[in-house]
Amino acid sequence: MALPDDFAAIRGSVALSRLDHVSYARVRGDSAYEALDAIFPGALRMRDGQMLHTMLLTDDAHPFADAYLCWDDEEFFLLAEGPSSGDLVAYLRDHLRDSGVDVEDRTASHAIVALDGPYAWETLGLVVDPEAIGLPYLTFYHHADWICYRAGKTGEYGYGIIVARTEVDALERRIVDVGERFDLRRVGLETLDQCALENWFFNIRREGRQPVTPIELQLQWRVSYQKAFVGSDALARRRRDGPRQRLTSLLANDEIAVDDIVSLAGEAVGRVVNAGFSHTRSEWVATALIDVAWAYSGIGTFTVAGDSRTASARSVTPPVLNNRSLSVSPQLHSYATRHAYPMPDLVRR
Amino acid sequence: MVATLTEQVAQREQVLGKVREMLISVLDVQRAPDEIDPDAPLFGTGLGLDSIDAVEVVVSMEELFGVRLSDDAMVRAEMRTVNALVDVVIAARRSRGAA
Repeated sequence: MALPDDFAAIRGSVALSRLDHVSYARVRGDSAYEALDAIFPGALRMRDGQMLHTMLLTDDAHPFADAYLCWDDEEFFLLAEGPSSGDLVAYLRDHLRDSGVDVEDRTASHAIVALDGPYAWETLGLVVDPEAIGLPYLTFYHHADWICYRAGKTGEYGYGIIVARTEVDALERRIVDVGERFDLRRVGLETLDQCALENWFFNIRREGRQPVTPIELQLQWRVSYQKAFVGSDALARRRRDGPRQRLTSLLANDEIAVDDIVSLAGEAVGRVVNAGFSHTRSEWVATALIDVAWAYSGIGTFTVAGDSRTASARSVTPPVLNNRSLSVSPQLHSYATRHAYPMPDLVRR
Repeated sequence: MVATLTEQVAQREQVLGKVREMLISVLDVQRAPDEIDPDAPLFGTGLGLDSIDAVEVVVSMEELFGVRLSDDAMVRAEMRTVNALVDVVIAARRSRGAA
């Protein structure tokens, strides 16, 4: 069955989107590294030109922002989702106020365009320059007045270009023009969010709205228990006490929606926090916070109930797709010759 | 049904424990076992393993669990997360049990 065009582009060629939901802030000062290390939960093991996929927490260790922290020569910049840019900058200024660093909000002056898909690298190479093709994951570089970075939340090759708002329309026209040979499509946030769900990327607007910590959200890889940071005391207490629930991936043939109750053997054991129909799988995909006793992959007898709806669901190991990008190599392949080489199925059953 | 589920969960937790142990002792992941979430990505972000570690994962999976990860594309799919490795071990045990 053919995918709707938006998903066909992300999963099979390349999609263009404008990341208006992402804030862009710069942090500068002699003690910027130490100051940022004191607020971010992860160890800042990075160097100039690298990005760290991290997050910011509240004092209760709940998610505040999903962020990329980027080391840019003698300063840092942040690309963050969740709070408004005003709230993000207020958070940073509040927690960094004694450090002597300066925080500048550039969200109003700059836009971010994203390319996602198995051939996003090829499109980017023609739009920017061939150097962009070799960009390692979670790195960035300056191309004239642009910042080009490699990161995304769809499970495919993903890139972003940070550009002055006065130039973004011209950039997008150029991308659309180059993208014709790649069957490029413009997609919106809803499509990106569905792809993120399929690929087990934390969504600050969905899973992140829950009053839980990185422990329940299975995001401990973003945390270092060896240092203090905003929320570290609360997180240590939760770790000591043990989580009651854990985020778990579910699949169902029938509709599942946010806030649906998850049951097992007649007992309520959890609640759905993110859900959407996967056109790639022809099934409903969801994440749910489930009691730890049953928060395991491979259980086939969950029941998910909402308003006048009941669905049978099974817990699975995410991500729920075989991303084509895993099989596409910039050294070997191109969109023009994509039919010449076999690809694994997109869906693992 | 609950008894069967309890057994299933116990088996999964047992294999998860051994995979965590492998990641810590063989792959030198600098984490305590309870810090290694079941669905944590192994490569790129997540636990931060690299392509050299990938070879070690393949070797260790065979040595410790008797599981041979073959074919490139499927190896990448089977090694994306901690739970993906657990799935491979459980599937192999079921297959041996059925044989």
